[in-house]
Amino acid sequence: MPLFLLVILNAIFHGTSSFFHLRVPFAVYYTPAIISYQIMLAGYSSLLIAVTTERERGMLKRLRGTPMPGWVFLAGQIIRTTITVAVTVVVLVAVGSAIYHVGIRADTVIGLAVYTVTGTACMCALGLASTRVCATTEAASVAGPFTTLILGFISGVFIPAPVMPAWLLDAGKLFPLEHLARGLQQAFAMPGSTGITAIDLAALAAWGVAGLTAALAGFRWEPHDSW
Amino acid sequence: MDYGEIFGFLGTNGAGKTTTIEILEGYRARDGGEVSVLGADPAHAGRDWRNRIGLVLQESELNPVYTVRETVTMFARYFRRPTDLDAIIMSAGLADKTDERVGRLSGGEKRRVDVAIGLVGDPEVLFLDEPTTGLDPAARQGMWALIEGLRHAGKTVFLTTHYMEEAQRLADRIVILRAGTIAAHGTAEQLSRTLGHATRISFLAPPGIGLAQVSAAVGTQVQQDGRWLGFSSDQAQRDLTVLLRWAAERGVESPISGCLRRPSTTSSSIWRHLPAVPPASAHERRRPSRSPGPRPATR
Repeated sequence: MPLFLLVILNAIFHGTSSFFHLRVPFAVYYTPAIISYQIMLAGYSSLLIAVTTERERGMLKRLRGTPMPGWVFLAGQIIRTTITVAVTVVVLVAVGSAIYHVGIRADTVIGLAVYTVTGTACMCALGLASTRVCATTEAASVAGPFTTLILGFISGVFIPAPVMPAWLLDAGKLFPLEHLARGLQQAFAMPGSTGITAIDLAALAAWGVAGLTAALAGFRWEPHDSW
Repeated sequence: MDYGEIFGFLGTNGAGKTTTIEILEGYRARDGGEVSVLGADPAHAGRDWRNRIGLVLQESELNPVYTVRETVTMFARYFRRPTDLDAIIMSAGLADKTDERVGRLSGGEKRRVDVAIGLVGDPEVLFLDEPTTGLDPAARQGMWALIEGLRHAGKTVFLTTHYMEEAQRLADRIVILRAGTIAAHGTAEQLSRTLGHATRISFLAPPGIGLAQVSAAVGTQVQQDGRWLGFSSDQAQRDLTVLLRWAAERGVESPISGCLRRPSTTSSSIWRHLPAVPPASAHERRRPSRSPGPRPATR
């Protein structure tokens, strides 16, 4: 899916976009944007659906009866998702670089690594916390992708930020995806920058901690009829 | 409960069996009273306690993509001292399906995987919540054989069911639960005597013979239930002899062409004949019986 988005968006938008007072080719804008979108899709949406489904099928209840501590399960979900996301990121970068000639510097790699790990952890924590809100699998199947889609728009992932109304972008800045996207874009687009900025990392950390706290406090292991 | 015992909790749906077993398993908080399983309170028990018990939930799905071996291996890794995997798979009767994906197993086989998972940690106590509900008769027989095997292996088992036959067959002691309180308890034989129906003799109604004639012949009122006639007897051998002799004298061809149900009490008659539980004595009834002998595993 993310590859599809990358191809389509690059096909639609030609030329360059302005980004932090730089003019960059759209490919350089979109490759990191799509990477951030994929991180949210896998870490938040897919995980939300998968864990809600397992819970509703009684699988988590059974796990709860084993000696495995609850936090181990949650941590395991985060680690597993990070590994699959890392593989996807490598593929996206390879495609962006090979087909769209997006340049990769050493700084870019550092930024990519840091943001992939923190971004995935943040999104996973939020996804796990959100299972508390989704009682059924159907609810999760809608909530996950829909939330991700909305954030995708207001974070300037689909529509280039310079084209978007300022108030909408400001709304996006309240949420983690915008910061993940901007940070990654700086890693790709700004020469000499790893993209690791205090504010972006702090936003991801804050959302991640909030998600983790909510997850550890309120995670439900049993199907919703037992709540 | 005592070690090495199979303890049966019998009740209709909604009587509170699953609520009770979930309290014992530590899933549910209780409103009051004391619970002790293997010396610990399940509501506050830690990993050590979880290593000593095994659970088979009433309803829980398995990941259909994993094979039987992969599933059992995964659960084995959660426990400190898991038993040998092949031995567990074999004792669950799944040796020939070891490398089959769980999604392709029948209902009975999936239930066996549930039991294998419950046993993989080599627990001291196994909780079985309605092990045969929803299974076809063949699968049910297979599951009973499995559970009887557990007794031979010295496991302590806490079983809930709504099949009287299952409780009688498997359990050393039975507690009958009704509307959340204990309505009766004892061994299967004690219960039969208490509830006053030792044996039910049933047979297909012979053509051309009236109910009154049969009743007169056996000396007790025979009831008709569709094509079946039946009556309860405290002395099965004597009554059967009377019945068969009567049939032979009359030249009735094979009057007993139906089955003779084993000494048992049918579920429906249990519920009809249980004394109503007066509220005043409810508290007294809730005190569990504890037989002398090996130290109790569960209180």
